[in-house]
Amino acid sequence: MSGKASSDPSQVGLSGSGALSHVYIQHPPLRCNVPGTQGLYYDDGNKLLLAPSSDQVLSWKVSPSTQSDPPNSDFIGEGPVLSIRYSLDGKLIGIQRSNQEIQFINRESRETFSRRCRPDSESILGFFWTDCPSCDVLLIKTSGIDLLSYEPDLNTLRLVEAKRFSVSWYVYTHESRMVLLASGMQCTIFSGYQFSSGGIIRLPKFEMAMAKAEANHKPVLAAEDIHIVTVYGRVYCLQFDRVSMQLNVYRFYRDAVVQQGALPIYSSRIAVSVIDNVLLVHQVDAKVVIIYDVFLDCLSPISAPLPLLLRGSSVSGRQALQVEDNLTSAYGAMIYGDSWTFLVPDLICDIDNGLLWRICLDLEAIASSSSDVPSVLEFLQRRRSDPSKIKMLCLSIMRAIMLERRPISIITRAIDALVTSYAHLVKMENAFHGGDRSSKKSQNSGSQSANTSTIVSAESLDETMNRGKSIIKGAESETQQSTIRNLVNVNDNHAKKSTSKASLDSVSDSDGDANLDAMRSNSGESLDKYLSTDLLSSDAMQDVKKNTKHDYLKQSPIESEGLGCSSSRSDSCISNQQEPQITSVAISPDEMYHFVFQLVEEELGGDPAYLIADIVDSTKEKLRVHPNLYMMMIQMLARTNRYSELALFVTNKILEPSKEVALQLLEQGRQNFQIRKLGMDMLRQLSLHHDFVTVLLQDGYYLEALRYARKHKVITVRPSLFLEAAVAANNSQHLAAVLRMRS
Amino acid sequence: MGLPAMAANEGIQLCVFDTRRGHQEGQELDKILFFFPSDFPYSVQLSVVGLSEGIITFTRIFSPDAACEVIEEERHSHVFYQAEPDIWMVMIVEKNKDNESDWRCDALIDVLKEAHSLFTMFNDSLQALLDKQPSGELARSRLYTFINDYLSDFYVGKKIQVPSFRDCLKERRTVQMLTVSREVAIEVQGDTANMFTYAVLRLTPHALSSNTSSWSYLRRGVSGSSITASSGLLNSRSSPEEYHHGSHDSSMGEQSNRYHMPRPLQRDNWSKGKDGFLVCDIQLNVGGLVYLAPVVWLQQSEEHMYLCIYQHRSLTIIILIPVCSQTDGEQGIALVKKQLLENASEKIVHVEEKLSRGWGGENAYHVSGYRYLLVDTDKSISRTSPPGKVMTLAKDSLLTLNKLREEVDLEKTRANREKPDHEKNLEICIRAKNNSWIIAKITQGRELYMAIEKANETLLYASDAVEKFSDRYCDGAFSLD
Repeated sequence: MSGKASSDPSQVGLSGSGALSHVYIQHPPLRCNVPGTQGLYYDDGNKLLLAPSSDQVLSWKVSPSTQSDPPNSDFIGEGPVLSIRYSLDGKLIGIQRSNQEIQFINRESRETFSRRCRPDSESILGFFWTDCPSCDVLLIKTSGIDLLSYEPDLNTLRLVEAKRFSVSWYVYTHESRMVLLASGMQCTIFSGYQFSSGGIIRLPKFEMAMAKAEANHKPVLAAEDIHIVTVYGRVYCLQFDRVSMQLNVYRFYRDAVVQQGALPIYSSRIAVSVIDNVLLVHQVDAKVVIIYDVFLDCLSPISAPLPLLLRGSSVSGRQALQVEDNLTSAYGAMIYGDSWTFLVPDLICDIDNGLLWRICLDLEAIASSSSDVPSVLEFLQRRRSDPSKIKMLCLSIMRAIMLERRPISIITRAIDALVTSYAHLVKMENAFHGGDRSSKKSQNSGSQSANTSTIVSAESLDETMNRGKSIIKGAESETQQSTIRNLVNVNDNHAKKSTSKASLDSVSDSDGDANLDAMRSNSGESLDKYLSTDLLSSDAMQDVKKNTKHDYLKQSPIESEGLGCSSSRSDSCISNQQEPQITSVAISPDEMYHFVFQLVEEELGGDPAYLIADIVDSTKEKLRVHPNLYMMMIQMLARTNRYSELALFVTNKILEPSKEVALQLLEQGRQNFQIRKLGMDMLRQLSLHHDFVTVLLQDGYYLEALRYARKHKVITVRPSLFLEAAVAANNSQHLAAVLRMRS
Repeated sequence: MGLPAMAANEGIQLCVFDTRRGHQEGQELDKILFFFPSDFPYSVQLSVVGLSEGIITFTRIFSPDAACEVIEEERHSHVFYQAEPDIWMVMIVEKNKDNESDWRCDALIDVLKEAHSLFTMFNDSLQALLDKQPSGELARSRLYTFINDYLSDFYVGKKIQVPSFRDCLKERRTVQMLTVSREVAIEVQGDTANMFTYAVLRLTPHALSSNTSSWSYLRRGVSGSSITASSGLLNSRSSPEEYHHGSHDSSMGEQSNRYHMPRPLQRDNWSKGKDGFLVCDIQLNVGGLVYLAPVVWLQQSEEHMYLCIYQHRSLTIIILIPVCSQTDGEQGIALVKKQLLENASEKIVHVEEKLSRGWGGENAYHVSGYRYLLVDTDKSISRTSPPGKVMTLAKDSLLTLNKLREEVDLEKTRANREKPDHEKNLEICIRAKNNSWIIAKITQGRELYMAIEKANETLLYASDAVEKFSDRYCDGAFSLD
């Protein structure tokens, strides 16, 4: 495919990168073509790419960072390798040597032991490591599955339980912790288990339907036609029906499997990826990708099918163009080549060339390809990959539609999308207000933040709370404005950089919404209840390696202790300042003010009616409104002599009463007495006695001021001011009255 | 020659004249733009106008900026209103022997003001009409129909009833205070009070169809309900213009044939159109241009606006669309209307439901123990005790309150003359003959009038009562000291 990026990808905004693609792979790939290795294996439990050679295995940690560390190597001894997986704690290596034998090697002691099956009646289909409490290894055989537990003292595996039934083939992803076991003539009858850290969940047996090609010919379902995907913390299964050319979508609940519909397929070979909860269906023959966001169980694509693009690394302008031309000539031919293997969830392994690509979403391109701005914003608000960039994108979209003076109804819906997202965040904050154990765990900076990942299970719920908490802190803190502001500027210049960063971060947080889901349903209820209705992907715990759950949980109380003293907002602001991390895409009213209304006001100029309508729209949800927004409205209205509207806004409390608003009204009221009076009324109603008396004095109502001061016992106004005012009025009677009252 | 009419209406005369016109001998009639009753002999009309002009000229010697406002004779009150720089409106009201005719001059002037501002809204200023057609025929014919239509609301039986002391707890030319929630905030133009008045007069669902007995959002206040009553009266009797058929002023009849006569104040002009919007056959033309849709002139913003009125059950929505914003006239408006219905009809239904559920009934603003009028002159809004409750006041209380208001009016004008930029704050409590407390309090442009009949005798009690009222119902606006 022509991967020519025709325009400068560094601009952020509706224009997007200009490339005719929504999905791209980032150059350079991880290179693992070491001579002497035989094949590449992906260990999704540890996110390791493994290349066995004669007696060793090289392992590359698939991290979001571009710098590929030199591979580690482990001794595995001689012998064929059918599949190879490291244990989740990294202490053991399991190697399937044949369909009869799996060999385990202790990495420290290099001791080995093997597990074999009965050669006459069964054969081994595969195995995987699990973090479920009762067992460590699962062995799938044609005769069923064995749940095995590792005994470190004996350095052997103990059979915990064996489940007996016939299995034709199986599909497992560590992300979902789900194994689907196919059986039957057509391999359409499935048993399913989820081996999560919360325990083992057995799915009811179910059968997938397959269309018939001819009357007598029954197609057989193959393992490569089944894809388990984890989106928004939900587990789906996609079944490619080659006869009807559609992809059937099943959603797994704890006690049911429900077919949700079908996606059309335009290729005899397909692949499925998930990036930041967006489902990509690669139509390999057609060399295009179709993107779906199944958040609302809506199965219509987000945009038209477009090719997968190859992109150079962070260079900008003309150079980038050149580089990409070179890249295209170098790698263009292999895009969607036969040697491509798609790994869960978002990797492509080019086995022949020993390359590993990560798939990235071009959110700008997606945003700019749709004219339905409110839906785009909703879509973007659901993304978790690169909060700061998405935030900036949303803000720039908001700015653009306002500057374009789109109809108010569009603006309303767009603002609603943002406000809803923010309101959700606030709700989360309230729901978890009790457990004020703020943790900066999830934003520990750099690549580590990508490593942190949470498990939605009863025991780690606290952590989930903390995560929600810290997200809110990020959005709430006002001091963070400056940080974000800098980011705007930086972003405009170096968007390319952040684009690549986005691709790196996208690995993290793909479980973000799983947490959200849990929280949503958890407000008030117990998590158990939640678990009983919806089968959780036991949460893409993608990066658990050394940072195992136990370390993780041990760490968190220490952290929260450290932060415990700084529970007040201002303190947390400071701590945020030190750690400028933006953890949520939700846009706070403050950000709306700073990055939308203020900038739009500067640019729009002239008649403010349109902008005011927009602002009123944005403030109707009674969320916290940035006080300067009110100032701005007052100034705009006063500047254009819309005093009557201003008065109406004040009386109808569209402008919430506050001291700032009152003082601004007094200020603008220099030109309009009515407005000044509204400001005074507001001061009085807010019981700001001192200010009210001062203003009365300023306006020469010294007798009224005196009476008011006496009634409300205002002693903070200097008595001399009263006397001066009385003297200025040149009325000796009044002067005497003032003297008498103040004495 | 129209004697019965004369006899019926001899209680009131109303004239509009232009001091620049008719200075030449024999041309004096040219001065008169309008005279009510129109069947008065010219000689009488001339003498009334001549006297008025004489008084104005005379008083100008002493007070060049503000000439005469009121002349009290033994049997008549003359009320003057300088509507436009050279155009005066004068109303002469006969005093009866019974003291039913105790009125407040400012209330009478308010009638003139209201008539003029409504006229201007639908016809443009008199000056503009005279400039356009110097002979004055256009202005005369417009005034003739308009003011007669306007006065039709003041008929009680066969007599015109001007606002008397019984109306001392009402304030013309204000919008009755509404508790509009945020969702229904309206864009306010300076002429809202006018629009409101007009809506109350002619656009209430009751005025449109007699079978709806429901309340109106716009009719919440006092004047609304009184209009309802009077409209009932009017429908049963002969319409006022019948008086003028066959009157001696035949030129008027001719004129109304020659010019198209917009009659926005004529009853039963509006009806519901196919699109849900109200349609009328008044076909206004303002500023010399003929518009197919009704157009009004907003004095404050100096803009011509298309008048689109939508009604849903008891909710009346008035939409003003700047004429200059619509280049393709009728079509553009149809489009706007369509869009409004597409986008807002759900909300309209919602608002109507909310209002009808939330409306506290006729007595929503009743505060037991108090009979009050609250006016915010800055915002042109007012709130009053319901008329049914005001009726329970003793005549003495009403008379005293009326007197007090008259005094306050005087005091306000005086203070305004001395210190135009300084607002007069004052408080007066009077014990009426029947031992009721009559209170007026003015603070920062807000006015509160009150009658408390079942009050303790001490002044302290009365002022306490005001304070309590102020704190509870006026956000403490009157309890500054």
